[in-house]
Amino acid sequence: MIAAEFPVRSRVVIADDDPDIRALISIAVNRAGLDLVAATEDGYSAWSAIQEHKPDLAVLDVSMPGMTGLEICARARADESFADTRIVLLSAGVDEAARNAGLLAGANEFIAKPFSPRELGTRLTELMLAGSRQQTLDNGSA
Amino acid sequence: MTSLYNAIKERVAVDAPSPALKQMPTTVAFLVAVLLSILLPRTLVSEPLAIAGGVVMIALATGLAFYYGSRARVTRWALMVPGVSLVAIALLREGSNGTGSIFSALIILPILWIAAENGRRWVVVSIVGTSVALMLPYVIEWRTPVDAGEWIRGVFSPAVFGIAAAVVNELSRQGRRQLDSIQRLAHEGESLLVQSLSVAARLKENELQLHAADRLTRSVLDAVTEQSVIGTDLTGLIDVWNPGAAAMLGLSPKDTQGKRFIFEFHLESELETRARELSYPAGATVLNPGFSALVESARLGRAEVREWTYVREDASSLSVSIAVTPRLDEEGATMGYLFVATDVTQALEVAKLKDEFVGLISHELRTPLSSILGYLELMRDDEESPLSGEQLQYLGVAERNAHRLLRLVGDLLFTAQVSSGKFPLDISQVSLTEVVSAAVLSARPVANAAGVTLVLDCPVEPISVRGDTVRLGQGCDNLISNALKFTPRGGTVTVSLSSSQDDAIITVRDTGIGIPASELDQLYARFFRASTATRNAVPGVGLGLTITKAIVTAHEGELDVESEEGVGTAFIMSLPLAKVSVGA
Repeated sequence: MIAAEFPVRSRVVIADDDPDIRALISIAVNRAGLDLVAATEDGYSAWSAIQEHKPDLAVLDVSMPGMTGLEICARARADESFADTRIVLLSAGVDEAARNAGLLAGANEFIAKPFSPRELGTRLTELMLAGSRQQTLDNGSA
Repeated sequence: MTSLYNAIKERVAVDAPSPALKQMPTTVAFLVAVLLSILLPRTLVSEPLAIAGGVVMIALATGLAFYYGSRARVTRWALMVPGVSLVAIALLREGSNGTGSIFSALIILPILWIAAENGRRWVVVSIVGTSVALMLPYVIEWRTPVDAGEWIRGVFSPAVFGIAAAVVNELSRQGRRQLDSIQRLAHEGESLLVQSLSVAARLKENELQLHAADRLTRSVLDAVTEQSVIGTDLTGLIDVWNPGAAAMLGLSPKDTQGKRFIFEFHLESELETRARELSYPAGATVLNPGFSALVESARLGRAEVREWTYVREDASSLSVSIAVTPRLDEEGATMGYLFVATDVTQALEVAKLKDEFVGLISHELRTPLSSILGYLELMRDDEESPLSGEQLQYLGVAERNAHRLLRLVGDLLFTAQVSSGKFPLDISQVSLTEVVSAAVLSARPVANAAGVTLVLDCPVEPISVRGDTVRLGQGCDNLISNALKFTPRGGTVTVSLSSSQDDAIITVRDTGIGIPASELDQLYARFFRASTATRNAVPGVGLGLTITKAIVTAHEGELDVESEEGVGTAFIMSLPLAKVSVGA
């Protein structure tokens, strides 16, 4: 996998209660050329890390102890200071209802488990590139 | 009733008196005459031998009378008694001064006996008997009457006796006729009485049966303690309230029967919702929309089972499944309704737990699979330490089995969704031509590897239905995958698409091992595997057909099967054709 070239490396917070999945996401993030600033194992520590690091991207598992990924997503979307933070939700739920719930909570992407690390990296890259393009456009027009 | 009949019978069944009784006047008169003859010195005994013979004959006649009287059945031979008496009187008369004898008066008594017999011939017999008795002296003395007086007595007296005999005979005949009528009436009365008794017995039996049936119904209702059985009239007024209803709703029959209406125990909002679903005009034609909604199907003669909420007196509620059926009278007209309710609170809890369990299992299985598949992919993609050919082959096996496990988890989750009724469909216009073609295309590598010829037979014109593209594709994939698995090398699987007037028809026909006829009706049960599948070690868990059937049913279609062991199997999926609107 070739890491995308970003003007500034995007900072990423990830959260999953399963250490193996967490490590897998970390690998995907690193191979995508993103800057992993925190890897957390439950909802509360994930929310703390997000508040602390103000990341460009958060990759969150939906089902976690403490707060769920959906709740974190909803909180972030309710807070203006996280308006530029992209949020990707990962879930073992496969039906349409789970996907809709994620998108309704304000997630930018909803990815079902099991996922391909290669495809996850590609999706994260695309998401950040689209975000930086949008930001450039916004700055230009301002 | 029987005693009354017997009393009537005893009164009307007057049999002829016994010979002894009939002879009694003659015997008594004879004794009186003998006594008078002894007391009156003027009485002459002209012929002692005849007197002796007469006495003997009277004794004989009296003896015979008692003999016949003692017999169970009196025969014509009893008429010997008056005959012998006549001869005795004739002898006594002859032996005691002939025409002036005191015994002459006795002649009338046996004559009356004979004359009273049934038949006019006995009148003649009476006349002849009288003549013989009166003319006996002339016969014995072998002479003829000497003067006119004797002739007159010999002829006139029998004539007078004959008239008397005729009158007696006629009176007896009339008496017998009346007796016959009375006896006939008594017999008819007996028949009617017997019939009445029979009808009364039948009525009693029917009454007992009705009581027994009523007791049985009551016992059944009382025995049903886990379900509430509530009966109402056509307006919903309660008239049946079993112990189950009392236990479920906390009220006794005397609190409810004839006083409360069934809809008072229902959640009002549910009744209103149902009434809206049935599009009842608000108050216009339905007096009580809530009750009408409750009995809508039963009113149309169909039993209906639906989940409702009962509300108790203390405002607590419970979820119930209620079967509503019409109550019919003897002419088949609806006279009310029966509501049999089962508490499903626990069942709903179990269903909820089951959903949670399935969700948990799904999550817990998919998460490790995510790790397995993810890390296998990392190994495959590792450019710094590329794997050898053999290692890549091992990796392929691991990946294939991990994906197999993932499909199984997906299938399990899907069947759980189907059984809990949570089966979402993403409905759109679906080109079955494309769905079937894609399914065949994706199955072709497997068919080639298995040495099975896979044939696609699609019409040129596209066929469309309203449905879920992914699910319909999944159904086709399952049928084709099954057909390939069960068809030996060298066989053929033909997938054809056609249409009838109302349906699109997808047929997947194979030349495989077939399914025993006895197992065809179990094919769609979860985890069922045909004996031919297990015998031939065909892999699978028995969920594919369950899922396919659920998909077809959700599309309001039908899935049929034709199979012959050793010849092949055909699955026929019929789906309602998409209706093109006129304006389109």
